[in-house]
Amino acid sequence: MQIPTALTARLPWAATAIRLGLGWVFVAAGWPKFTDPEGTVRSVRAFQLVPETFVRPFAYALPTLELVLAALLVLGLLTRLAALVTAALMVMFIVGIATAWGRGLSIDCGCFGATGTTVADPVAGYVKDLLRDTAFLAGALVLTWRPFSRLSLDALLGLTHPPRARELVTIGAGDH
Amino acid sequence: MTNARTAKTTREKAAELRAQAERQEARRRNLLITAAVAAVILIVIAAVVLVRVASNDQKAKDAALNGPPANVVSGGFLVGNANAKATIELYEDFQCPVCKAFESANGAAIKAWVAAGTAKVIYHPVAILDADTKYSTRSANAAAAVQNADPKAFQAFHDLLYTNQPAEGGSGLPDSQLIDYAVQAGVAKASIEPAITSQKYAGWVGLQTDDFSQKGFTGTPSVVVNGKKLGTASTIPSPTDLKAAVEAAAK
Repeated sequence: MQIPTALTARLPWAATAIRLGLGWVFVAAGWPKFTDPEGTVRSVRAFQLVPETFVRPFAYALPTLELVLAALLVLGLLTRLAALVTAALMVMFIVGIATAWGRGLSIDCGCFGATGTTVADPVAGYVKDLLRDTAFLAGALVLTWRPFSRLSLDALLGLTHPPRARELVTIGAGDH
Repeated sequence: MTNARTAKTTREKAAELRAQAERQEARRRNLLITAAVAAVILIVIAAVVLVRVASNDQKAKDAALNGPPANVVSGGFLVGNANAKATIELYEDFQCPVCKAFESANGAAIKAWVAAGTAKVIYHPVAILDADTKYSTRSANAAAAVQNADPKAFQAFHDLLYTNQPAEGGSGLPDSQLIDYAVQAGVAKASIEPAITSQKYAGWVGLQTDDFSQKGFTGTPSVVVNGKKLGTASTIPSPTDLKAAVEAAAK
């Protein structure tokens, strides 16, 4: 894909911003869930999507995964993989919230930790949660597409390369 | 001329091969790093899950060891005549402000129905608003201790905790205050103090809270009359709705 030079120059910084943004989101979402495992168990159960046997393992694994992704994104390590898993998680959240809405459940998503309160009007919450998660999904997809970013371990370890350099390599390899 | 060109081509080919080998080596190294980091992550997640599942199993074992409090009916605390036709089941958290609002709006009417023998109440302790000092669990544990010592004192203790409900997100009432209220409600200090300070029924409260969640309730208060949850899934019933449901159930 041909990228305009100006964009090519700015994309790594944009990727850094997305990384740090999503990383911060996962800290804010993962930490309250991690420190209140039983509340998270109840939040997961409230969606009525995970079979009871798997509710606990799922509820214990999810915040741990969120915190791991936060670490990877903030450090910029394995950015493409982290972004891909982030995108998959967001799709899962979007499906969960949308179907909770569709099934007429009145629940708080527990996205940023269990609140334990009854929701008077869940629809406003569903709309807000869905818009927010869609924005996060978009960010994760951009990062999956162009994972090279400034201030990252990936760049330091040579795990990713700037898009321009990679294209030069491709041109060099193809030029017999 | 021909030789020079051939030599150059050979050099180019060699360079190309070297570059290709380097790229392959880099790819191999990247794959290795990725696999190693991914493996560490999976091990960390699996360890957290295993430790927490085990700790939850241990809590259930502890709860079984301490046993449930005495005088428990259908997993809750019965107030009123067991033969009353209408059964109001209240799933409440002592830390929950909406429960306090529900109590001040309906408490008097409920007491009147209980006194008239129209209805009985089963109070289900639920602890879903535990903050740092675990006030939800501590207060529910104290209620269990009171019920265990003297069921006649439960209602007064319950009312005292709602009248004096601490702010949500704060540190809650200290155990000494819970003990004072229990004494005020009419139980002997010695009969409840050890259970309150050692949180003897905390495990049982946890199991009741699991039960509440597994029944499909997601918030407190959840109000059930003769097995039917009142209000929509998300709203608490108005005094009018509660009255209608209780009168229908009492027929």
